[in-house]
Amino acid sequence: MTQTAMQAGEFRAAGTDLSERRRSGVSTGPLIDIAAEPDMIGMHWAADGSLRLGAFSTIAAIAADQRIAAAYPGIAASAQGLATPQIRHLATLGGNLAQRSRCWYFRNPHIACLKKGGSDCPARSGNHLYHVAFDLGPCVAPHPSTMAAALLAYDGTIATDRRSALTVGDLLGDGSNGAADNALQPGEMIKSVELPPPLQGERALYRRAISRTHAEWPLVEVCARAVVKDGTFQFVRLAAGGIAPVPLRLAAVEAALQGKTASEATIANAAEQAVVGAKPLPMTAYKLDLLKGVVKDALERLAA
Amino acid sequence: MSTMTINGKLAPLPDDPDALLVDVVRNALDLTGTKLVCGAGVCGACTVLVDGEPAVSCLMPARSAANRNITTVEGIGAARLHPVQQAFMAHDALQCGFCTPGFIIEAAAFHDAWRAAKGTAMPSREEIGAALSGHLCRCGAYDGIFRAVADACAGRFDGGDILPSRMEARDKVTGSAKYTVDIHHDGQLEGVILRSSFAHARISELDLAPARAMPGVGAAISLLGDDRIVRYVGQPIAAVAATDRKTALAAIAAIRPTGERLPSVIGLDEARRADAPIVFERSARKKAGDVSEGGGSPAPWKGNVRGPTAAFSKKPRKVRNWVGDARAANNPLLVERTFRTGTQQHACLEPHAAVARFDGDRLTVHVSTQAVFHLMELIAKRYKLDHDKVRVIADHVGGGFGSKAALGVETTTAIELAREAKAPVRVAYDRHEELSVTGYRPAAEMKIALLPSDEGELKALSLTAYADTGAATNSTIAALGRLIYPAEAKELADFDVISNLPAGAPFRGPGGPPMAFALEQAIDEAALRMNVDPIALRKRWDPDPNRQRLYDWASSLDVWRNREPPASQGGRYRRGIGVATGYWLYLWQPGSKVEVAVKGGRLIASTATQDIGTGTRTVIANTVAREFGLEPHEIEVRIGDSKLPEGPGSGGSRVTASVVPPMLLAIGQLKTAIQQNAKRKPAPGSNAPWREMLAASPDLSASAVRPEDSRPMAPGIQSPLKQAGFMGWIFGWMMRRFSNLAIGAGVPSSVQIVEVEVDTWLGHVRVVNVHTGIAIGKIVAPALARSQATGAVIQGIGYALYEAREIDTRTGDVLSGGMEDYRIPGIADTPVIDVHFDQDGFDHVLGGGVGIGEVATVPTSPAVANAIHHATGVRLTELPIRPDRLIAALKGRAAA
Repeated sequence: MTQTAMQAGEFRAAGTDLSERRRSGVSTGPLIDIAAEPDMIGMHWAADGSLRLGAFSTIAAIAADQRIAAAYPGIAASAQGLATPQIRHLATLGGNLAQRSRCWYFRNPHIACLKKGGSDCPARSGNHLYHVAFDLGPCVAPHPSTMAAALLAYDGTIATDRRSALTVGDLLGDGSNGAADNALQPGEMIKSVELPPPLQGERALYRRAISRTHAEWPLVEVCARAVVKDGTFQFVRLAAGGIAPVPLRLAAVEAALQGKTASEATIANAAEQAVVGAKPLPMTAYKLDLLKGVVKDALERLAA
Repeated sequence: MSTMTINGKLAPLPDDPDALLVDVVRNALDLTGTKLVCGAGVCGACTVLVDGEPAVSCLMPARSAANRNITTVEGIGAARLHPVQQAFMAHDALQCGFCTPGFIIEAAAFHDAWRAAKGTAMPSREEIGAALSGHLCRCGAYDGIFRAVADACAGRFDGGDILPSRMEARDKVTGSAKYTVDIHHDGQLEGVILRSSFAHARISELDLAPARAMPGVGAAISLLGDDRIVRYVGQPIAAVAATDRKTALAAIAAIRPTGERLPSVIGLDEARRADAPIVFERSARKKAGDVSEGGGSPAPWKGNVRGPTAAFSKKPRKVRNWVGDARAANNPLLVERTFRTGTQQHACLEPHAAVARFDGDRLTVHVSTQAVFHLMELIAKRYKLDHDKVRVIADHVGGGFGSKAALGVETTTAIELAREAKAPVRVAYDRHEELSVTGYRPAAEMKIALLPSDEGELKALSLTAYADTGAATNSTIAALGRLIYPAEAKELADFDVISNLPAGAPFRGPGGPPMAFALEQAIDEAALRMNVDPIALRKRWDPDPNRQRLYDWASSLDVWRNREPPASQGGRYRRGIGVATGYWLYLWQPGSKVEVAVKGGRLIASTATQDIGTGTRTVIANTVAREFGLEPHEIEVRIGDSKLPEGPGSGGSRVTASVVPPMLLAIGQLKTAIQQNAKRKPAPGSNAPWREMLAASPDLSASAVRPEDSRPMAPGIQSPLKQAGFMGWIFGWMMRRFSNLAIGAGVPSSVQIVEVEVDTWLGHVRVVNVHTGIAIGKIVAPALARSQATGAVIQGIGYALYEAREIDTRTGDVLSGGMEDYRIPGIADTPVIDVHFDQDGFDHVLGGGVGIGEVATVPTSPAVANAIHHATGVRLTELPIRPDRLIAALKGRAAA
């Protein structure tokens, strides 16, 4: 939501992000409760095997759907991994994509920051232990949406009430606008998400690094897909979250694997490419090691 | 107006778009079983069923409950307890009980779905862990929760009612237990505190008129001290009481204090610099808080550094010489390291809270406190009231861990607002307040040098600790190194480093865990260098008889005997096994009094202590029941009220050892009185002679005060302070004189064996198995003692791996003020825990046992670190051992 949109009113779906900001006083403007239009509800499978998910689908519904688990295991696993069961039962797909940063400076009502109309990012010069390792913009908070990273891995597109077929890049921007968590226009609302048909024989998964076992914002997360045929990688697609202001495609890893033998050595070598383009902050270099580890873990599982 | 159906009844929903379901449930409908804790969907205490699915009511707009079916804990098992509720009671899957309703809701939903799909198959730990991953328990009741959910799913609690081992368990699993935050008087106002947003400032003008002028505001008061200086972000400035929280928040926002910012200094490193701004000028030093359980001693205080307190040193100059010589000679046995620990927040799930109410000149205060009686004394003294005009009540307390032992700002503020408003006032901290200004275990930097002699004995130990105490003093870390591992010479120095941060507070074994983190790793390192089994070395260096028995137990465990050589595995995942020792002092409170009475044939035991989840009610009931040959549930226990006979505070692991001996004396007297008053003796051969006598007895009562212990006869059992000679005697005298605490003979001890699995790719440590051996004498309430033991291990794992307050070192803002950023262990982080109680060693205490709370958590963090070293060959010197630190250590580079 941009500043202007907030002045007009902030959209509320299930409220699992917004309610906390209302209670703390970070969000104070008018609220617009979203009425679920028919095109925002349900899951619609097309004859070609593609899927349109209404923005009002809950994360729990996506996580539990057998057909999604079969066709898009990376989407299902991402939905199963994020937040907690009691959040997933309420939270919506649209809300997950449009949620705001979890940065501890942003969430503190007494501290000014770029996302609250301030002039600089206090995390950059302050405590950014959980922040980005790819420093791509003025704000150093990682984008919180696990589902956005998953959509990026699947070339999913987003339809709003004004535009259709937005890529994840179109929706969230490139991280250069530190004031916003997405590139939606003021008052623009996410209606649905479209997933192209999965590839023949592809496998996919979601892996992450956290300090505990469950229920934590990921330090690093990866949604990965691959088609391994005759012992070689025919197709690889990786998208990572937790490391940059927007989810990132790991193109260098993909390039290092395309057409290569699915061996331990190739995978280890390719995983090193995950940090191409990285620009860690003083406290976040560890995320690059974790990223390499998560990528290696994901690829080994896909190749197994 | 829209409505919802809640527990089968129609209820209206408010029009306010910002109203959340939890507020409607708790405030409008008074269904207080649903708890508000984190307010961010992290802890799950507010969980309710929405159309049968668990959902967080703290984030759910009340509006969206329209036309839906809501079930709260009051609606679960309303007619007959749900199998999950029965199972929680049977397995003692709860302690303070504040998280319990949320767990019950989620576990009941999981159980019902599981049974529908899988019959009576038993779910795995992983399945239970994932299903309950949205719930946090600070007491660490997870061990019992695993067993309860598994057994309920397996159909083992489908039958009739069970009698719980914890006296108040039924009230806690049904949500009917009332905590301070649940108290609601007619006309009660809500109090909110305006806090400093600067780390250091002098407030010149504080105009409360704009707040007082707002409709709905009943009182506005200043909370500034006489010097009008605030010394940390979050220090109270003023408070307002209003008809509801929203109005009170608007009112404090209308107060605009003005003043002058003063230079500030944050944290251990900055505050130690010679040119650092001074936090407490000499005249203001008495305003500093206290991080210990008592027994502070005078110390030099220069700039922001107070210390050294080094009274427990022994031939310190010799230590310096010997260590210097060993260093010069490159003695390979000299272990020298610097260890650092993080700031651990108590993170009580029930926040600090008080509800004050004046009836004429009588003051009643419900407080979430660890000390109802002492608090009554403190309130009476502060407000110049007679003891009989002040009553402090705490029926149930949602966790304390040391942070609720003093007279807190929440209590004084509630009292002062109630006095001015002439209405009852509740002050309940929000989560950010709870996780920033209510105290913490200070972070510490500890330099240790440990030198074995050529003969393999412990020759010298040097430990210097700098504690990050914020606006407080009196850290005791290094001094605790005196009372274990005797050496020829010891140099032990404690320093407080004061800075513009909130004040630290006592926390479960104050000073113990950081001391053990440094010392027990140094011992481990020495064992490796000497090529001696780490338990064998401890057995050689540590003559305490209680621990000698625990060392024998530990070294006989298969997991220890079969362990592989250190760092012998390659690959991604590596397993390791570590050991560590801990101790705590056996403390009891002189003057503790228990009354035991028979009234209408029923036994009633009364004392002004409280149960903060530790099991005090049950300890009392079990003791009385055993002496009379009855069942604990036949005993009525009256605690949590300062009107009762003077009882001990729940701190320093003192309660059991303070109440059991006088209770036994009172029971003896009561028995004599009953026999003297009996018209006829019980039938010969009766198997319930006392039951018959009690039924026929007139109303009688007896009370007794805590007696001194008898002289310990077992070899080696003595006061730990004997080791510290004359200074130890002085320390003991001061503790008794100024803190009303006696240090008894015999040392409560714990030895823990921990098995970890290290993921070297993702920097993740999983604690797989823990064996905790505990010597505290006779166990009065076995199931509850087990809960304490496992909970202490889980809290220790939090300290070892996850927990750290994070701050902005420029501004002094606490950044980890929410439960998602202050990370306590979840159920899936819980290892399999084997508890071994050694029940000897305290025969000189009437009843034969002492307290468990603190000793059980001391060794966990060094045992984890020693296990990681055993797995990887890398020594982790800084807590918590997060992925960033573990990765850096494995790569041989410094963490940020």
